[in-house]
Amino acid sequence: MEQNTVTTNGCPDLSVQLGPLRLKNPVMSASGTFGYGEEYAGFFDLRRLGAVVVKGISLLPRAGNPAPRIVETPGGMMNAIGLENVGVERFVRLKLPFLRESGVPVIANIFGNTVEEYGELASRLDGEPGMSALEINVSCPNVKKGGMVFGTDPAMTAAVVRAVRAATTLPLVTKLTPNVTSISEVARAAEGAGSDMISCINTLAAMAVDVFSRRPRLANLIGGLSGPAVKPVALRCVYEVSRAVKCPVIGIGGIASPTDALEFLLVGASAVQVGTANFINPAVMVEILEGIERFARVEGLAELQSFIGSLDTSCLFPFSEDACSFIQSEIS
Amino acid sequence: MEKIIEEARIVSRQLVRGQIFRLRLHAPNISGAARPGQFVMLRVCEGIDPLLRRPFSFSRVDAAEGDFEILYRVVGRGTLLLSRLLPGASLSLVGPLGNGFELPLTSSSPLAFLAGGIGLAPLLELIARVISERGQKGAGELRLFYGARTAEELLPEDLLCLPGLRIDFATDDGTFGYKGRITHMFEEAVAEGFGPSEIYSCGPLAMQYNVAKWALANKTMAQLSLESLIAWGLGACLGCALPAATPEDPGAERFVHVCEDGPIFSAGSIKWNKILSQQTVVPTFPFN
Ligand SMILES: Cc1cc2nc3c(=O)[nH]c(=O)nc-3n(C[C@H](O)[C@H](O)[C@H](O)COP(=O)(O)OP(=O)(O)OC[C@H]3O[C@@H](n4cnc5c(N)ncnc54)[C@H](O)[C@@H]3O)c2cc1C
Ligand SMILES: Cc1cc2nc3c(=O)[nH]c(=O)nc-3n(C[C@H](O)[C@H](O)[C@H](O)COP(=O)(O)O)c2cc1C
Ligand code: FES
Repeated sequence: MEQNTVTTNGCPDLSVQLGPLRLKNPVMSASGTFGYGEEYAGFFDLRRLGAVVVKGISLLPRAGNPAPRIVETPGGMMNAIGLENVGVERFVRLKLPFLRESGVPVIANIFGNTVEEYGELASRLDGEPGMSALEINVSCPNVKKGGMVFGTDPAMTAAVVRAVRAATTLPLVTKLTPNVTSISEVARAAEGAGSDMISCINTLAAMAVDVFSRRPRLANLIGGLSGPAVKPVALRCVYEVSRAVKCPVIGIGGIASPTDALEFLLVGASAVQVGTANFINPAVMVEILEGIERFARVEGLAELQSFIGSLDTSCLFPFSEDACSFIQSEIS
Repeated sequence: MEKIIEEARIVSRQLVRGQIFRLRLHAPNISGAARPGQFVMLRVCEGIDPLLRRPFSFSRVDAAEGDFEILYRVVGRGTLLLSRLLPGASLSLVGPLGNGFELPLTSSSPLAFLAGGIGLAPLLELIARVISERGQKGAGELRLFYGARTAEELLPEDLLCLPGLRIDFATDDGTFGYKGRITHMFEEAVAEGFGPSEIYSCGPLAMQYNVAKWALANKTMAQLSLESLIAWGLGACLGCALPAATPEDPGAERFVHVCEDGPIFSAGSIKWNKILSQQTVVPTFPFN
């Protein structure tokens, strides 16, 4: 649907600057939903993407949680995969070469049981050719602190980020959990400790049960909710975080269409990650990208960067005497 | 192997019996690549309820026409919406997925097929493929042991009409055929002299467990089609896990993934005593 717009010289500039990292467009895969890229390579050219964020990687391989691990809920799904992964050595040896050769920027999602493990992982991945950035997943169980999660505590989050920062010169993304009272506080702690970007949100802690068997649906009792159902929560988090920190924010949560992605950019995200939607339509990221481009054309945006964070929170009264009057919102 | 995303057209839709429907889809690319035991992920509606695609096995493949069929039972919202679609409508598919059955090693030895309920679906295509490979005359002794809860849920015989196949029926309540478990009926046939070289089985997990136990005890090769909740079907999410047998290290914890390593597994590859009861949940949908 081409409208009569001020089409600039054809292609709007979709590139985004994420701190030290420049991506040719703002669309990337969310960790854990895109495998190691290979699983989707048959459906489209991975180079179309801004970046690929791979499945969370730990120092040693992990078997993951008992089954059942997933369950569908209205407008979303819950998972308790338990971070099953091949471990960093096999990732570097068996999975990374494919991605490196495909030419798409690679962001490795890492998690450890201790602060030191995060540091070790970062130094192992530092200098690996083909690696564009690290995404620190601070929403996994912390063995040292008795099952607490690093990402729910600003001080622990900062400690993890510092350890990773000391171990690598790669650009760092810190991925935050929404399961906290103030996500802004955790975001500020991560930024203060040297994170170049913040990504949010990881999944929402959730539960599903069966009244006939009187049992939880997931073997793990509790799982993480994702998909369209979480989008409003994710938007609010991205809005708050992008106002709390100066570094770029990557929006994640329930994105399944071009307008979903644009909503995140509007409230302040500089880029987006797409997760659960990849399961429904394997080419969804390409469609989102094309939709963003179409939007930029229709709206006459020469570069997308100008749209980012342009949410207008002022109040406009179109039917007041003075049609131009508007007052500043109290909420901002 | 090439994975295909394809818009299929519904050729026909038929209520076979009770809650069981038969759907014929025109999808030349997927039909051309499909093997028995593999499955497709089918998007039953455009919206977000249900959100995820649903897995269905190929029950018949007609590559020449570019068509394939599925047989399914309405158990929830996804299958209910599917049952309301009319011929001519289009449906988005991803497939063919999974490993599929290995065809029998020998060319004329007796084979046993065990089907519980809608588990018959993938076996129909397998049996048809075996018969066409072996040739009708030299097909050897092929026996299907097929059961359901009650006579109402057994598929009509015209659907099962495969030349050279002998069918024994069982129902839990004895309303048709043998009264009791399919595996018991099968064991009785063996006691009477039936000696299959291989077993192919699909049905509820409890039945599959009994088949696996028998096969392991009697050192007979068995290929079981197993289920797990599948979100995507291409191995990327690791959600569809089942506990894997680890003979070299019995204490180890390892998982197989139904969509990638399966859905066809050998009897010995699953750690049956680590399967949780949640894996066999009964649909609650009919209650609401
Ligand atoms: C590889 C594979 C092949 C399959 N082939 C067939 C087939 O040929 N014909 C057929 O009728 N069904 C088949 N199934 C099962 C089918 O996918 C489910 O019945 C279907 O997804 C249910 O969707 P729904 O939205 O109607 O139910 P939902 O609303 O999702 O669930 C309703 C209830 O159905 C049960 N259910 C949901 N998903 C499954 C599942 N994957 N396995 C068992 N029970 C489930 C649950 O108990 C749930 O409470 C197959 C499953 C797999 C994994
Ligand atoms: C099956 C599955 C596995 C996931 N694994 C990881 C992971 O390993 N590391 C991580 O940081 N996030 C993981 N996530 C969270 C997603 O990356 C994303 O933050 C979340 O799903 C919200 O986005 P969505 O609604 O677009 O899916 C996983 C999500 C799903 C559904
Ligand atoms: S369904 Fe995701 S790995 Fe099998």
